[in-house]
Amino acid sequence: MSIRISAPTQGLVLLAPALLVYCVFAVYPMLDVAALSFMKWNGLSPNAQFVGLANYVQVFTQDPVFWQAVRNTVLWTVMSVIFPPAIGFALALALNQNIPGRSPLRALFYLPVIIAPIAVATIWRWMYDPFFGLFNATLTALGLQGLIKDWLGDRNVALYAMFIASVWQTVGFSLVLFLAGLQNVSQTLIEASRIDGAGRFEVFRYVTLPALRPSITIVLILSIINSLKAFDIVYGMTGGGPAQSTQMLALWAFTQAMQLGDFGHGAAISVVLLLITISIVIPYLRWSRTHRETNP
Amino acid sequence: MRVPTQWLRFASAAALVLGGAMAAQAQEIKLWTLNFANDSANQAFQSIIKQFQDANPGVTVKVENRGVDEHKSALRVAAGSDQGPDIFFSWAGLGLGGEFVKSGLALPMDKYYAEYKWDDRFLPVALTFSKQYPGGQFGVPYTFHGEAIYYNKALFQKAGITSEPKTYDELVAAAEKLAKAGIPAFTFGGTVNWHVMRLMDEILETECGAEKHDALMTMKASWAEEPCATKAFDELHRWTSKYFLKPFMGIDQSQSFNLFLAGRAAMMLEGDWLVGQLKGANRLADFAVFPFPTGGKRLYGFAEYNYISSKSKNPDVAARFLDYLESTPVQQAHLGDFGTISVNKDVKYTSTEPLEVAWRAIFGGYDGTFVNGDQAFPLNVTTEYWRIINQVATDSLDPKAAAGELQKFIANSK
Amino acid sequence: MNGFARAFRQPGLDRVDPILVILWVALIVVAIVWIAPFVFIVFTSLKANSTVMGSSAFAPPTSLEWRNFAGAWARGRFSTTVFNSAVITTIKVPLGLLISAMAAYALSRIRLPAGRAIFLLVLFGTMLPFQVMLAPLFTLVNSFGLINTKVGIILPYLAFGVPYQVFILHGFFGEVPKELSEAALVDGASHFTIFRRIFLPISLPVLAALLILDFVATWNEFAMALVILQDNSTWTLPLGLMSFQSQFQSDYGQLNAAIVMTVLPATIVYLIFQRYFVSGLTSGAIKE
Repeated sequence: MSIRISAPTQGLVLLAPALLVYCVFAVYPMLDVAALSFMKWNGLSPNAQFVGLANYVQVFTQDPVFWQAVRNTVLWTVMSVIFPPAIGFALALALNQNIPGRSPLRALFYLPVIIAPIAVATIWRWMYDPFFGLFNATLTALGLQGLIKDWLGDRNVALYAMFIASVWQTVGFSLVLFLAGLQNVSQTLIEASRIDGAGRFEVFRYVTLPALRPSITIVLILSIINSLKAFDIVYGMTGGGPAQSTQMLALWAFTQAMQLGDFGHGAAISVVLLLITISIVIPYLRWSRTHRETNP
Repeated sequence: MRVPTQWLRFASAAALVLGGAMAAQAQEIKLWTLNFANDSANQAFQSIIKQFQDANPGVTVKVENRGVDEHKSALRVAAGSDQGPDIFFSWAGLGLGGEFVKSGLALPMDKYYAEYKWDDRFLPVALTFSKQYPGGQFGVPYTFHGEAIYYNKALFQKAGITSEPKTYDELVAAAEKLAKAGIPAFTFGGTVNWHVMRLMDEILETECGAEKHDALMTMKASWAEEPCATKAFDELHRWTSKYFLKPFMGIDQSQSFNLFLAGRAAMMLEGDWLVGQLKGANRLADFAVFPFPTGGKRLYGFAEYNYISSKSKNPDVAARFLDYLESTPVQQAHLGDFGTISVNKDVKYTSTEPLEVAWRAIFGGYDGTFVNGDQAFPLNVTTEYWRIINQVATDSLDPKAAAGELQKFIANSK
Repeated sequence: MNGFARAFRQPGLDRVDPILVILWVALIVVAIVWIAPFVFIVFTSLKANSTVMGSSAFAPPTSLEWRNFAGAWARGRFSTTVFNSAVITTIKVPLGLLISAMAAYALSRIRLPAGRAIFLLVLFGTMLPFQVMLAPLFTLVNSFGLINTKVGIILPYLAFGVPYQVFILHGFFGEVPKELSEAALVDGASHFTIFRRIFLPISLPVLAALLILDFVATWNEFAMALVILQDNSTWTLPLGLMSFQSQFQSDYGQLNAAIVMTVLPATIVYLIFQRYFVSGLTSGAIKE
């Protein structure tokens, strides 16, 4: 017995499970966050109270930590777009050369990427321990006691100390992407230009770099998106301290809702972060669509 | 189809017995509590539970231990779901534990207080916390703690301090002597926030006196308008900049305890539970204790309670367990495991261990308490209180501006 | 090593380039710095607490304190957390890949009403930081009564895994020649059959790469688990490590043993399946 099920119906059946779970557990919470940002709710009682823009007013004018979190988030994102990709790029260039042990070296640099971010946080928190951690112990052994710092307890240093841990984790990511891009650069073109007398730097500037443009774009965009998500590392290393000086938007939103019981306030902060993300993402999506259409 | 009546009767009787047996077997109560730093408390629970289960067949008690912050988070989550505990530990102060009671998550226990005559069993000073909410009596005292200054006897001697400071000025003078001998006076763990807060609370009591301190903590008085509040922040800053073992902001309080044991600082502001920890480390002989000289009649201390959840399906069993836990024989047998003194007033104290004797004297010497700041304030104010304290402690906020900052937040949050 | 014979030479040239040698040495130095944290952690995990506090940080342990591992295993409830992580990952990863592949096929090979809009909706999800939705997710899962359940964590995991996987597979399926499926359709095969018999087999390499990446991502996930798995008997490995850190921070030997045990499974998987990681990353990039 064969019943003709139309192609679109078959398609819908195939699409349904993924679409359903995505809409319920990803799209709906996003809409819920937006709705919740206009309410006052402590997460316990069954009723939430509509308060209009009160949460936003509170967030923008009465929350002493919010602007610090915005600054930290923006600073973190900017640093994440500059340093790990730059280091990854340099390493990729080096690893693309004819030197022995490229494969094991690449594997080594990529290894921290697959470690749980919370484990990276724990590892580095231990290394930054002011009394027994690796850094201060090394400085003391080298006679450089003057440089000893309370790496995670000194507000001038803490954010950067955390960022270094993040660099350790994420460099491998850009490294692999750049290396793949480099390996796609046409070898014949390079050899031809060599024969034409081009030196090392000219080859790089006129052949390699242009060919790498798509890779660079991807690494940059992915770095931005991943950095906006910074949560595990901050939670595990400082919890937002000292004195909320390393607080980031995602963690502060979480703290307000899940730890302090002010869901509306947390939702308002989440919406701000969402808007920042969207304002970066939508232009990129538009640009990449047109770019893809012209460069199939 | 007709079923012979004997069959019916037999069947229903069997069902009742089976159902009753299964109901009895299904009596499990969940107890959520802390993973106490003093491990003897954790172990005492294990043995008490075992004894209770032996004496009450069909009942199982399941304990879940968590760290302090996780326990608070778990309670918040459980409050909104059906997955919560039957009994939960909480600090008895209005702010911290009050959140749950005020949102209806704790069961009023008046009938159990009558049944088990708890009003006659507990220390009055511990009992007061059960009556601070409208709607009945909530929770059963679990411990009563005091906080005071422990000091390293050898280091005091080395600095030439011959007697325990009895006034605030003497305490400052002692710190000066220690500083001259190259010894940091205090060690604190900054990451947990509530550790450095303790010093702030004590200074507030010293500078403001009992009434003003209470008015500030209940937010009836304005921090910006009380000069003693600003003076207190000033004093805090003096301590953190001159007399603290540094670095302190990046370590937690268990690490600061290790440093204290290692003699890296002379004093530690800790609770009576530290006696158990010192006993576990075999270092009782090296340390002594004296109360922080606030110049007042109140001891810095707080009560910890066990509450029965209003969602519990076995509240009677839970109450029976709590009664057992706080019964005189059990408390007498486990004296020293939960705290230096028991909340049960019929317990007899026979220990001659100097630190324990010292604590009994401390407890007996005061007629009232003031609680830790984070138990008095609501959660969001506590977070801001900690932030300001930490900023003052790390020289990033002018102490003269601190009180104003706090008041601004309090005013906005009302 | 064969590599050394022709190493350090520019392409097309025969003499050893001294700059490349210097570069290589610099790389080795960087690599040593890169691996130092691992070495430090392993060393500390094998020292007793008193040794850690007493001796130099980078001195190798003189006597191996394997007890730290046993102690950390028990205290950190590793048997529970490893089991939970394993169950959740083993269920979620293949299941997620399957539903993503089905959806990707439907979106790329079948003309659907609003197909383009749906695809864009899904694409949008690749950029969403789920960290902003932790509290609403908690409320949602709670309203289903699924807090502290494996189902309760697997469903959101599936939801957030769909966008990236659909995106990659959509691009891959789009490249399959139309003639292949048209021939099968003419023969009367349903889309289900085409998907199962043709598309799944040819995309095995991509599926393998996505599987590996998703395995590691799920195994390491922390924030969502923090919110949904409150009962410590349901905790996953990352939650167990964080709890260990917050409670036993000053038990240095055991803390490091806990770190080693947490990190080991993913490291082993990585060392065995290295190339899948790389191809998984780059297939997404190059498809741009």
